[in-house]
Amino acid sequence: MALNGALGKQNVNTLNKCKILMVGAGGIGCELLKNLVLTGFTDIQLIDLDTIDVSNLNRQFLFRKEHVGKSKAQVAKESALKFNPNASIVAHHDSIFNSEFGVDFFKSFTVVLNALDNRAARNHVNRMCLAADIPLVESGTAGYLGQVNPIKKGLTECYECQPKPSAQKSFPGCTIRNTPSEPIHCVVWAKHLFNQLFGEEDPDEDVSPDTEDPELTADAGKSALDSEAKKDAIGGIERKSTRAWAVETGYNAEKLFNKLFRDDIKYLLSMETLWKERRPPQALDFHDLPGKDLQSASTRSTDVWTVQECGDHFTRCLTALKEDLAKRGEDGMLVWDKDDHHAMDFVTSVANIRAHIFGIPLKSGFEIKSMAGNIIPAIATTNAIIAGAIVLETLKILFGKIDKCKQVYLNRVPNDRKRLLVPCALDPPNPKCYVCSSKPECVARFNTSKITVKTLQDKILKGHLNMIAPDVEIDDGKGTILISSEEGETEDNEDKYLSDFGVVNNTRLKCDDFLQNYSLVVTVAHVEKLDGELEFEIVGDLSQCHPEEDGDSSAASGAPAAGKAADDEDDLIVMEDLELEDKEMEQSQGESVESRKRPAEDVESPAKSKRKAVAAAGDSEDLIEIS
Amino acid sequence: MATQRKGGTLDKNNKYDRQLRLWGDHGQSSLETARVCLINASATGTEILKNLILPGIGSFTILDGNKVQGEDVGNNFFLMADSIGKSRAQVTTELLSELNEDVSGDFLEENVDDLLQKNPAFFTSFTTVIATQLPERTLLNLGKVLWSVNIPLLVCRCYGFIGYLRVVIKEHTIIESHPDNFHEDLRLDYPFKGLKDFCDSLNLEAMDKKDHSHTPWLVLLYKYLQVWEEQHGGKMPKNFKEKNAFKELIRQGVRKNEHGVPEDEENFDEAIKSVNSSLHSTAIPSEIKSLFEDPACLKLNSESKNFWIMVRALKEFTETDGNGFLPLRGSIPDMTADSERYIQLQTVYREQAELDSVAVAGHVHALLHNIGRDEPLNPHTVRDSQEGSISDSEIKTFCRNSAFLTVLRTRSLEEEYSAETANTEELGRHVMMEEEEDASDEGDDTVLYILLRAVDRFFTEYTRYPGYFNNTVEADIPKLKACLTKLIHDWGLTAGIKDDYIQEMCRYGASELHTVSAFMGGVAAQEVIKLVTGQFVPINNTFIYNGQRQTSTTIKL
Repeated sequence: MALNGALGKQNVNTLNKCKILMVGAGGIGCELLKNLVLTGFTDIQLIDLDTIDVSNLNRQFLFRKEHVGKSKAQVAKESALKFNPNASIVAHHDSIFNSEFGVDFFKSFTVVLNALDNRAARNHVNRMCLAADIPLVESGTAGYLGQVNPIKKGLTECYECQPKPSAQKSFPGCTIRNTPSEPIHCVVWAKHLFNQLFGEEDPDEDVSPDTEDPELTADAGKSALDSEAKKDAIGGIERKSTRAWAVETGYNAEKLFNKLFRDDIKYLLSMETLWKERRPPQALDFHDLPGKDLQSASTRSTDVWTVQECGDHFTRCLTALKEDLAKRGEDGMLVWDKDDHHAMDFVTSVANIRAHIFGIPLKSGFEIKSMAGNIIPAIATTNAIIAGAIVLETLKILFGKIDKCKQVYLNRVPNDRKRLLVPCALDPPNPKCYVCSSKPECVARFNTSKITVKTLQDKILKGHLNMIAPDVEIDDGKGTILISSEEGETEDNEDKYLSDFGVVNNTRLKCDDFLQNYSLVVTVAHVEKLDGELEFEIVGDLSQCHPEEDGDSSAASGAPAAGKAADDEDDLIVMEDLELEDKEMEQSQGESVESRKRPAEDVESPAKSKRKAVAAAGDSEDLIEIS
Repeated sequence: MATQRKGGTLDKNNKYDRQLRLWGDHGQSSLETARVCLINASATGTEILKNLILPGIGSFTILDGNKVQGEDVGNNFFLMADSIGKSRAQVTTELLSELNEDVSGDFLEENVDDLLQKNPAFFTSFTTVIATQLPERTLLNLGKVLWSVNIPLLVCRCYGFIGYLRVVIKEHTIIESHPDNFHEDLRLDYPFKGLKDFCDSLNLEAMDKKDHSHTPWLVLLYKYLQVWEEQHGGKMPKNFKEKNAFKELIRQGVRKNEHGVPEDEENFDEAIKSVNSSLHSTAIPSEIKSLFEDPACLKLNSESKNFWIMVRALKEFTETDGNGFLPLRGSIPDMTADSERYIQLQTVYREQAELDSVAVAGHVHALLHNIGRDEPLNPHTVRDSQEGSISDSEIKTFCRNSAFLTVLRTRSLEEEYSAETANTEELGRHVMMEEEEDASDEGDDTVLYILLRAVDRFFTEYTRYPGYFNNTVEADIPKLKACLTKLIHDWGLTAGIKDDYIQEMCRYGASELHTVSAFMGGVAAQEVIKLVTGQFVPINNTFIYNGQRQTSTTIKL
């Protein structure tokens, strides 16, 4: 047969013996599964936690309208088998983080193919493949851009060898709560409000005015205290959680509106220092909204609602969401979802009302969805191209020609050298990589008397360093256990500060993750205060760290993996800036284009440098979620 | 997303959400009115169509006279063993139709050559025609028919590890070309009245600290340019040295605290960084000037495309109201600023852009009148483009993109295939390169094109592809080599091509590898979407993919 001619008969036999693990059955996954089956692979397992959404149907061709809500893995398998009954496909509707998919599971495959859309899962699979010493083909797409990266332990860079730009832009709490200046600040606030009212309450997502704003220093102290008293007078609800209060009022739209958009704003106005150099906000009253008299009916998602329309939608969504919540029972909660109309319209209306109050331009529902949902455009064509390239790289690995493998980058248009597709030689592993080097190490800079054991566990080790269930021991000769992955063993430590355990500058923490078979030594670099309200900062390479230096901006920006990791949900914003490195391409001529002050809503933004990259982003489809 | 929307529309908004973010509602409407014809439901053809049906083209028609064979089942996802012997057009149409209920599918089981003879008008009812697996002669005939009526033709082919794509279009006009890198249209060198008035109304010295550090950098540049120009005979900083001096001048403007230490003024940092990119001189790009001289622009008639009428109006605008400039784009980049002044500045630019666009519209209406295509009584009731008239929103989009207008005119297949008009210069260069270099990683993929042409010649001669039968692979090698030599000779070239390549071509035996088809299916569908939406610039005119090396190239042939 023709296949034998092109691939060689021996090679075709090799394919029959290969066991393939596909992680993700979304945009790339659907294409990939088809390609694998038609290339002659017969033993395939696929895993995806996600279910099918309407917005998948423009490209995930194994799914139809009637499949919406069903398991992606399961339906992908069934659709593929319908056309090619000879293949053996096992579908797991499950999370790749699940401990049943341990190193031994990974070891049972010949090669692992990622078709993921989020960095957490990519990091995890990377570590599992390193631990199992199984080759991995990593891939990603965003709009017209795409990339494929073959990874083999010891031979190539691993997924985490090069620091990635911080996954999500985060904003100082006081900007969100007190002094928003961009639409995105209002969107973030609106999503926090949603969670406060209907979802999981998180103290980091407080929506009330922040009296600990660093701008309110010294002389402002007094007025802050005064305001504190005033606040009690105005709201009379200070000691209650937003949720409890909302429930008490029966989610009354008028009461909620007037608290959030009138009384709280008036209270903010009382913090006069904030408005010395800013335009002060203007409180709104529920019954007197701008645009009241306008006979407008915005029907297109690209229309911008008037404030009055926002008020109407606010009322409507509140009622609907309250009912949704009631259906979840006593302790039920809602999870914000950009594809849920009420949840989305709620955020659109709230964000715009707040934007109006602070003199920030209002945005259409379409745009806000993009910001709030962290939406990456996705089309069938790019996925088709990348899935084709994945299989061709996989074949080289399987035929023992890994030396011929390339990293492949897909451009939007042919580059200056007329190349739409740019192959790059594989880079050797980074000897200082904190994941794949023989003795992984990194440095964490923070104030030891301000970081609790819980923060170390949740935000630093899990959130930033992507461990699943870490064990942490202080390398102090005594083997003090800070964190144990066994439930209950170290719970008492959680709220204590690291300094309480004698952690000081240069203390070494031995961190282990049993599932990932991964050990990391974290050296603590004590600093009093980090720049830009960062809670901590991770530096991959010891030589890049200057522990005693009081965080000045140059040092901070020189750190490769800096970033406040506090907000690790898939909300906060922003396109991950993709690290598509077009290594063949000449340095871009002319000026380097600065990244924008305002969030780029469009991943195609020409303002970005040519060195873009595809990576994860938190688009919830195609994705294996942390469960 | 608004809840007032009902049924299907709501569904569509959701279904297409991720792509609307690339080409917008208007791009989507164009896509939904497209009528695409696929000739031959090969693995490659089917993959292309799949990638067009998913995003929602209007309709497709498959023309294919073949029956499904075992080989099709092996490389075409949409065909099953029990399809063997049935009409390939019919089976694939049925299965592809399931992918998207909003797309209507149709088929015609007929031989392409016969149809070209009997009813060439069949082909002219489509927006775009995609051809796969066509022998050279059929392809040239089809090309001629479509060229004469200016319907785009895409030729796509997968041969072993080689992918080939050719875009054939007499004239394709693009308003929204979405360029990758461009200068903002700020007019700092020729400030318009609104900008002058706004900037002059601000006094940096008199500002308090807050206002000073929140003045948009655009205003800062304007202010310091005035200072500079006063000192330099009214000239902007031009070269590197002058620009550095100008940056220093801005730096001096940063406020200092009581200890003489400069304050942290982010807007000044931004102004300094923007000097290089923002102080270019405003001018009409040469590409646009050449459009002004294009016969299609100069000789309008009642049949003229809206695009050319607008180009002519644009030309007239630049010669009159525009004072030698294109209409203002009307957008400004993001910058550190207080919202109020940022919005004011935005408004200043937007309002001037509106004025310019109204002026261009005036020229458009006059031109329409002159060529006897008068606009309807009330142009404001017409939102979208209608036969004969040009809507205001169309003119606005046109003005906003006037610096990026692009006209694509590829060479015809006839020109490419005839020995007299073939691009032998280009081909010769690549043949030479192959000879000099060993087949290193940086080899040139153009040689694959030459090999494909040789394979076609082989087909013409032997009515089968080299190596198609396993037992003829070896015997076909010298035959293919002879075809190749003749081909190169016909082009008036002499150099040869390595035997390795020839052997490999014979080993491929015209097989279509699914994964290569899948790859090219993505590339080709993307080009169709560009053609249909009129957004982004299609490839001019040939794309070649080397699946073994993961390299690709584009050439004009």
